[in-house]
Amino acid sequence: MAGRNLFATTNARVVGAFCVAALLQLAGTILIPGYSAPFAVRAMLVLASLLAVASIGQTLVVIMGGIDLSIPFVIGFANVVAAQLYGDGWNFFLVCALVGVLALVIGGLNGLISRSLDIQPLIVTLGIGMIVQGLVLLWTAGFPSGSAPPVVSGFVSIGGSAGPLPVPWLVPSLVVLAAFVVLVLERTPYGRRLYALGSNPGAAPLALIDPVRMWMVTYAASAFFAAVAGVLLLGFTGSAYGDVGQPYLFQTIAAVVVGGAALVGGRGSYLGTIAGVLVLTEINTLLIGLGFQPSAVQAALGLIIVLLVSLYGRERHVSTTI
Amino acid sequence: MNPRLSSISRSVGFAVVLLIILLAVNLILSPARFQPGSWGALVGLAAPLIGAAIASTPVILAGRGGIDISVGPLMGFVNAVVIQVLFLKAGISSPLLLVPAALLIGALVGAANGFLATVVRIQPIVATLGTYLILTGITLTILPAPIGPAPAWLKALAGPWSLLPLLLMFIGWGLVRRTPYYDQLMAVGSDDRAAYTAGVDVTRVRLIAYVMAGILGGCAGLMLTALIGSADPNIGPTYTLIAIAAVALGGVSLAGGRGGVAGAAVGAVDIFLLQSVLTTFNVSTFVLQIAYGAILVLAVMLTALQERLAMRAR
Repeated sequence: MAGRNLFATTNARVVGAFCVAALLQLAGTILIPGYSAPFAVRAMLVLASLLAVASIGQTLVVIMGGIDLSIPFVIGFANVVAAQLYGDGWNFFLVCALVGVLALVIGGLNGLISRSLDIQPLIVTLGIGMIVQGLVLLWTAGFPSGSAPPVVSGFVSIGGSAGPLPVPWLVPSLVVLAAFVVLVLERTPYGRRLYALGSNPGAAPLALIDPVRMWMVTYAASAFFAAVAGVLLLGFTGSAYGDVGQPYLFQTIAAVVVGGAALVGGRGSYLGTIAGVLVLTEINTLLIGLGFQPSAVQAALGLIIVLLVSLYGRERHVSTTI
Repeated sequence: MNPRLSSISRSVGFAVVLLIILLAVNLILSPARFQPGSWGALVGLAAPLIGAAIASTPVILAGRGGIDISVGPLMGFVNAVVIQVLFLKAGISSPLLLVPAALLIGALVGAANGFLATVVRIQPIVATLGTYLILTGITLTILPAPIGPAPAWLKALAGPWSLLPLLLMFIGWGLVRRTPYYDQLMAVGSDDRAAYTAGVDVTRVRLIAYVMAGILGGCAGLMLTALIGSADPNIGPTYTLIAIAAVALGGVSLAGGRGGVAGAAVGAVDIFLLQSVLTTFNVSTFVLQIAYGAILVLAVMLTALQERLAMRAR
């Protein structure tokens, strides 16, 4: 089968996505003066890192055969709650711990309801997300206040530097985090179970994999990383904004799929998602750099996602699955 | 009861019970809003959502992750093209031209979705996400800000007359159900591999489902135009997720092969009545959103529990 289609394997898809990102960078350098200037590259790396953090959970959930639409709402929740409590004079690490625990609860609930009752996670995560957003709005009366602690601002600041490296600490931290996620997926029993459950949800329980537990843990992880992204975004923008996560709804899904994962489950990798994140960030920066209006950028983004995925993300024909 | 009817009532049953409860609650809470004289206006308000839910159904029935999230943006696109391009710029106001134009746009977008999802074989949610972004972008480009008015005949389709396009949609689907194609669609949705080995052209069946979704979406776009009586680039996309929630609530399995447009329509009416109940409580929009999300989750949970009980009873 592999001989017929160059991009049939996941690894080839990942390599393909990285190549596309590199080509886009090359195109930008040729077309736009200053595209590869240190500051521009730094800005792109920071934006890509933020999306990469938000996409960790979506990657895990998609490999398992689910989907998480609550990510943008959890990002907004973490963003607003962290700013509000920090503004009220709380210790920032206490704030982070509280936000993290609440996110784990939200995610666990997503997984529990979806799996134990066998309901489409699309609806459950959307509903839970709307509840979370409503609660946050109710608590802040629609006008979130508070600000980012300097620690976080410095951590994600585009002008910051990490020791000798000319990038903020966010970027090297993400590299370490990415290595950790890849390790967990490739080398731990949890990772094996995740792929097994995604490949064949019917057979996995016979291999003593508890689907409900796996779904709870994975959705909890997804919400947790969404919350991390929300707190980091607080440092990036400086003030709280409940809708800050909205662009991440489709972007996380697009990054995961451009990176070679299948939404039916069982296939995908975090390295691929990173490649997808780079591709999306490159496209966005390139189009804005070429002077397109936001609406035209959106249309072009849609076109390019479809074109890219049709190049290397094609599904198998039903006749080859028998 | 014959087996077909009982299977329909089992999958739609909960949505119908919810419909009756919500209708009763609405009648008690706001008798003025729900007096017989204003039923027409209420139908008009609910019509675009019902249309969007019906349009989202065929692709979901076709199975294997089939989903069309571009239905909402398609409605917005049809709305913008019909008013801004055809009516205001080109001066075409005849329904004999505008209606076919809207349906043709829908069919073309549906065909493009179908081509991407079935021939190119991109995962449906990504293919239609692509069209979602493209349509939203083009809509905002040709129509940066809301503009009006709509032709008089189209505005007249708001209120009681909005039953006419809904009725036509149901008749259209009823005709599809009488063809062998319908059985092929349900077979492909239930188990595409079995259908393929039985000689069904799986790709063609799914492609047609996308085109049908597009035509129905074009019709829903006209209904939206009738309701708002103008063109607005921001309203269409908001229908996407709500319509899919309505479809799921109406007992259509998102895994494919189970359910129908009647269930989807009932689910949409449920959601409309739910919004209506929450509005009459006169609470803040924040509480509204919490209740809305909670009831959405509870409703799908109860549907799942009821299905589980029904399975056990057999």
